[in-house]
Amino acid sequence: MSMNARKLSTLVRGMCIAAALLVGATALRLLTPGYLSPDLAHRLLLAMLGLSVLPFANVIPKMLPPLVRLRGSPAQDQAMRRFVGWSLVLGGIGYALAALFAPLDMATGLACALLGISLLLAVLRFVWAVAGPARE
Amino acid sequence: MNSVFKALADPTRRKVLQLLQAGPMGSGELAEHFDVAKPTMSAHFAVLIAADLIDAEKQGRTITYRLKMSVLEEALLGFTEIFGLQITPKDKTNSKPAAKSAKEKS
Repeated sequence: MSMNARKLSTLVRGMCIAAALLVGATALRLLTPGYLSPDLAHRLLLAMLGLSVLPFANVIPKMLPPLVRLRGSPAQDQAMRRFVGWSLVLGGIGYALAALFAPLDMATGLACALLGISLLLAVLRFVWAVAGPARE
Repeated sequence: MNSVFKALADPTRRKVLQLLQAGPMGSGELAEHFDVAKPTMSAHFAVLIAADLIDAEKQGRTITYRLKMSVLEEALLGFTEIFGLQITPKDKTNSKPAAKSAKEKS
């Protein structure tokens, strides 16, 4: 896939996800309170947000950040990309599951904490790969 | 996605992907792990490249392969390993799949 095609695909994917979120949020608004309770609508909206992370996190290991490749060893670069991808995917799934199944008073906090921790781990791993000691 | 399933269906290709999870490797280094002819190995690499699961980088005379799998594809690799998805016969995992199927057809 050429660079332009890849950029276009990323753009289209982003727009599709944004559109899906808008449509989903509108649908939830229209279905509340007639068909859905406000609590359930809130949970579903949070779950949708959590799941919207997945398409982006899923492809992170396929992407190739040139800076990291130049700095570290290819093995370290690959390990970093796999870690970041898995961390964010699991964080997104954790966010959605916490939003759906955790007790309502702590669902939002727990979901944000899970995604926040995964994001923090991903950033720390990336920083370590870029700024950490150079390896063979 | 079809090409990904096709690539993951073969145990030799799955083993290549597992070896590459440790880090990029040269074609010779990878071939050492298998008792197959070089052209067969090249065919396996070609299938993996076509499925966009690995990337080949030529450095002088050697070709280095590195993993290029999304999280979902890695999860699929794990599932196929666990559930033993296998299209080629189990007792001949390291035989020449292309040559064998051609022989069977004739």
